[in-house]
This record gives sequence, C-alpha cells and structure tokens, in this order.
Amino acid sequence: MDITEYIKLVFTDYTLRTITLGTAILGAVTGMLGSFAVLRKQSLLGDAISHAALPGIAIAFLITGAKDSNTLLIGAMVSGLIGTFWIRGIVTKTHLKSDTALGLILSLFFGFGMLLLTFIQKQPNANQAGLDKYLFGQAATLVESDVWLMAIVTGICLLVMLTFWKEFKILLFDADYTKTLGFNTKFIDILITSFIVLAIVLGLQTVGVVLMSAMLLAPAAAARQWTNSLSVMVLLAAIFGAFSGVFGTAISASQNNLSTGPVIVLVAAVFVVISFLFSPSRGLLFKQVRFIKNRRDLQLHKTLTFMHHIAETHEDISHPHAIKLLNNFQGYTKTTLQKLVDKDYVELHGNMWSLTKTGFETAANLYTKQSTEDE
Amino acid sequence: MSSAQIEIQLIASVVAVACAIPGTFLVLRKMAMISDAISHSILPGIVVGFFITQDLNSPLLILLAAFTGIITVVLVEYIQKTGLVKEDTAIGLVFPALFSIGVILIAKNANDVHLDVDAVLLGELAFAPFDRLLIAGTDVGPKSLWVVGTILLITITLLILFFKELKVSTFDKGLAASLGFSPAIIHYGLMSVSSVTTVGAFDAVGAILVVALMIAPAATAYLLTTDLKKMLTLAIGFGIFSAILGYWMAHWLDASIAGSITTVLGLVFLLVYLFAPSKGIIAVMYREKQQRTEVSLLTFLLHLKNHDEIEERHVNHLNEHINWQKVRSKTVLDLAQKNNLIHIENKVVSLTKKGDEFTSKAIDYIITNEDAQIEDMKDDFFLFRG
Repeated sequence: MDITEYIKLVFTDYTLRTITLGTAILGAVTGMLGSFAVLRKQSLLGDAISHAALPGIAIAFLITGAKDSNTLLIGAMVSGLIGTFWIRGIVTKTHLKSDTALGLILSLFFGFGMLLLTFIQKQPNANQAGLDKYLFGQAATLVESDVWLMAIVTGICLLVMLTFWKEFKILLFDADYTKTLGFNTKFIDILITSFIVLAIVLGLQTVGVVLMSAMLLAPAAAARQWTNSLSVMVLLAAIFGAFSGVFGTAISASQNNLSTGPVIVLVAAVFVVISFLFSPSRGLLFKQVRFIKNRRDLQLHKTLTFMHHIAETHEDISHPHAIKLLNNFQGYTKTTLQKLVDKDYVELHGNMWSLTKTGFETAANLYTKQSTEDE
Repeated sequence: MSSAQIEIQLIASVVAVACAIPGTFLVLRKMAMISDAISHSILPGIVVGFFITQDLNSPLLILLAAFTGIITVVLVEYIQKTGLVKEDTAIGLVFPALFSIGVILIAKNANDVHLDVDAVLLGELAFAPFDRLLIAGTDVGPKSLWVVGTILLITITLLILFFKELKVSTFDKGLAASLGFSPAIIHYGLMSVSSVTTVGAFDAVGAILVVALMIAPAATAYLLTTDLKKMLTLAIGFGIFSAILGYWMAHWLDASIAGSITTVLGLVFLLVYLFAPSKGIIAVMYREKQQRTEVSLLTFLLHLKNHDEIEERHVNHLNEHINWQKVRSKTVLDLAQKNNLIHIENKVVSLTKKGDEFTSKAIDYIITNEDAQIEDMKDDFFLFRG
C-alpha cells in the first residue's frame, strides 16, 4: 500500500478515519497536558493514574451493570483522582517519598482492580467481556462518538488552558510566588491535575494502561529539547503527540498483527530520540560538536600564546624561529600550525615560522583577556 | 487444606520475602518506581529468549529478562546523566518503549503460543503448583517454588554478607565511597537482585504483584520504624501476612489470588497509614491541630502582653479583632486558663505571673531564634512537647 492510497483510505474508510482522528486528538491533548506534568516533575504521575483508574472502571461496571464507555470513563476518572490525591496525601503527610507513593498507589489500585475484574468475570452476566481491553487498549474499538468525546474534552481543555494560561505558567515556575500574588494555587493545581487525569482516562481505551504514561511524557520530553518557551513547548508537544498518533496508526494499519498502542508509543519514542540527538541548543550531537570545537580552540590558543612568549623576546616580532622549538610544547601539532597559517596569524617558510602582526596582537590580547578574566 | 493450597501459600510467602528485602532498600533509596519499570521492561527479554530457545521453561529466558532489567536501569541512568530531562521522566520514557517492543514482538511472532501479555503482567498463582520440577523422574515440588526459593537464598546470603555496605551506601553515599566500598557496585548489585527477583517471581505471581510486594510492605514498615533491621523484619512480616490472608480472601471470593494479595497489602498499608502511632495520618493531623492551637495561644499571649487597654483584653475581642471563630477562641482561652497563664475577671483577660514569664521567654526565643531557648521552655511548660 503506497502513501497516496493510504491517505485516500483514511478519508474513505470509516474505521481507519475514526482511529486516525482519535489517536491524533489523543496525542495532541496528552502532549499538551503532558508538558505541564513533565515541567512539574510529575512525569510518573501518568503511569500511576492510568493504573489507578482500573478499579474505577470495574466498580462503575459493577454498579451500572452496563458497558457504556462514558460511565466507565467517569468511574476511571473518579478512581484516578482518588489515587492522585492519595499520592499527594502520602507525600505531604508522611515521610514517604513521591516515588514510593506513586509505586504504592499504582500497584495497589491496579491489584485491587484485578481482583474486581476477576470477581466480575465470575458473575453470571455475559456483558462483562471486553472490560480488559482497558488494560492493553484497542484502538480498533474506537467509534465516532468516542472521537467526538475526545474532541470536546480537548476543546474544553484548550479553552481552560487559554483562560488560565498566566496562572498555569506562573504556578509552574514559582509556586510560592504565585501564592503571595494572591492566586488560589490549590484551585489551579486541582484544575491541572484533573485535566491530566481526564486525558489519561480518555487514552486508556486507545493505547492501554501501560502505554498511556508514555503518551503523556514522550511528546513533552521531545518538545522540551527544542525550546525554552512554555507556549512553544506546549504547541510542539501537541504536534508531536498528534503526529505520533497518525504515524503510529498508519504503520500499524499497514501490517497485520501490529497493535496500534505500542506502535504509537514507539513513534513517540523516535521523536524523543531525534530531539535528544539533534536539537540545536540542548541536543547531544551539537553538544559534542561544541565540546570538540572548544577543545580545538583551546589548543590553537595555547600554541599561539606559546609562540607569543617566544616572539616577545625579540625586537622584531616576525623574527623567524625553527619549528623544532615547538616540539617540546604539548599543544603543538601540524594541524594547529596549519590552522594558524590559515587564519593569517603565522607565516611558514620551510622549517621556520614567524608570527604576523595580527597574530602577535591577537596573542597579546588573548593574554590580557585571560589575565583580566583571572582577576 | 490440600497440598496444592499449602504450596500456593508457600510460594506466595517465599515471593513476598524475596521481594520485601530488595524492596526495603529501593524505598529507602527513593527508587521504588524502578521496580515498576523493570517489571514491565523485562518483556522483550523474555520474548527474545523464547525466540532463541522456543521453550518457555528455559533458564535462558530468566537470564535474558534479568539482563533487560539491568539494561533498563543503565538506560535510565544514562538519560538522567545527559540532563536533558528530569530524573523521573527518564524512567517514564524507557520502560514503555521497551514494553512496546515486547508487545509488538509477541504480536508479530508468537501469537499462537502461551506467551501473551496479560499472563506476563498478571500471572496466575493458582496454576503454579501444576508446574512441577522433576529430578530423575521424581517430583520434588512446584518449579516456581524452587526458582524463587533459590533467588531468596541468594538474596539473603548477599544481604548478610553486605549488610553494612548496603546500609552505609543507602544512607550516606559519600561516606560509603570514602570508606572504600563503591556505591556503584552496591547500586548495580541491588539492581541486579531486584531485576532477578522480579523475573523469578513474575512467572508465578505476575508483574503487578511483584511491584506491590516490593513497595507496599517496605512503605508500611517505614511508617512504623526508622530502624533498618526492624524495617526489614516488619516488611517481611507484612509480606507473609498479606500473602496468606490474600490467598484465603481469593479462595473465599473466588477471584484472582494476585489481586487479593495486593488488596490485602493495600488494606494493611491503609490501616498503618491512618493509625501509625507517630507517623500515621491521624497522629499527624492531631499534632498539627495541637501545634496550631499552641501558635494561636502564643499569638494571644503576645497580644495580651502588648496591650494594657481594657477593651483590647475583653473576651469578646478575641472574636472581633483577632478574627478567630468562637470554638477556636474558647479552646485557646481554656488552654491558657488550665495552665494558669491567664486569669479572667469580668470578662477581661490578663496575664498571670506565670503567663507573663512564659511570654517573655517566647519573645526571647522569637527574637534570638536559638534552639537553646526553646529547650528551656519545653522544660518549664507542658506546651511545645512532641
């Protein structure tokens, strides 16, 4: 299947269109909210919430006895929120650290959810089949109404974010200051957290419990590498998330037996790897390049300074010296010498070198600059 | 009780002990989430091992899975070191990616074998006794009991051998390094033990219960003691207790054993979280309330000392001026009166001699902010105790 054919199919095929749209919207909203989670050092909160949602789904089913996805989502949302606030309670009221609290709530809630699910499976109700799709997610089960729900939630989320943008931003970077300014930090905090929980719960059905946390983190972590501005980061994360959804769906649709969730996560991971390596200001590649360049400059300057010291002893700064003189000096190599010639600092005549006027001045300045910096 | 029931409880208890020991150190080292990460990211190791051997019982699977666990730790640390993202983000990026690879490998190649994702994640303890270990044709017991038992034996040996090193490097990395034992070796040793334990145990009880058994007993114990040896003992105790009670709860409810053991772990934690003598929520809230009252009392006494005017010292003034609610002002007044710090005449409050002395000392403390001052106050007055 080539690309144009695939694109045509996206517009004509109901299932493919629904899944593509759904994963794209999901990626966008998780990327957007994930930026806040990542910056607030709550990266693993997503993992904990997505596990903590399970007992809520089970209890909602036990109460209503129906597999209506909206009811189940509300159940998931409620237990996700309980989990989140319990985590916060553990961290603030006891000396247990946040990682312990997260791991604890994550495993305990999930285990309790499993207990309920197995309990439900024993019930004489044929309706329960497919509840465990929430564990691993099945994008194929998305229907148009799910996509509409996601779109509406994303819309509300966007609206709230724009309204409270200033508050969100200031809370992220200086919570204490926000409090002194008179903002209700608790309210803003609960607002952000609730939306994060909501986004995760929305994604459970599509990519499943384990992979939902990656959806929240990966686009944001990738976006963080390209910018220092919050608004750009949120936008980029939304774009990365949406593209992960679209590409992931496309790849998994093009082959048999390829579940959508994991592929989306891997596409998002590719975005992260690319960002880690190639982002201009923070990326590992350019960092290494800068590192090597700095070391070369240092070598060059060392040679130049050494030559300057020799030249200083003569009245004529361009007095030629033998290259042999440099042999005892560590910074000297053939290439650095050639570089200095290229920069017109040094002239080479056979086995003899001499400083040019610019070379002498640069070296002298280098020296004064260093000594002033030392002071 | 049938022999299968005894065996299940035995396996669950052995797993609980094997998990509680490394779990205690993970909790103390603020690395609890790494156990969750390992439990998910070993999946590709198992799958690749299965592709190589085509045998779900091969020891190579366990080796490869444990190796994947260590790779996870190394990757997480590498990403942390680059400084591109904060520490916890590194964990959250690594394990879902590895887990995804595992899921895709299974879906693409091994769909028709017993290896499926929910079995790996959830496990089924009820089946563990059916998988017997045969030596020269004789049945020597369930295989998982041998596997986890061996791991437990190794863990205990390592714990006894390196207890001092573990202890020092957990609480003071710098000291450990200066005493000559490398924190890195201890760190990777602990990670390897955690990884091997996770792998050995999840086959029997599932990944989620492994995480719960590592973190929950240790966290519960940590709320009750700060002594390392006591914490280890308590954690082991909570683990065994939950394993056995959880088994009977599952038996009674006819539900997943792993799920009910986790639920019991959760209930035990909840109880301790609420009622632990000094670190439980109720104790903490009571203490906070008392501290608030003490602060109010002090504010009130300072107010009295600063004002000689009658109207400023009227009882009703508490409600109007200082803006305290009735209940609170009554609590403060009662407390002050009970300790002979004030006396009330015609609804006008004034400091007694003792109250005056106390307030002067308090001002002294506030101004100098020296701990020695408050130590004296603790001796003189019942307040500020605890």
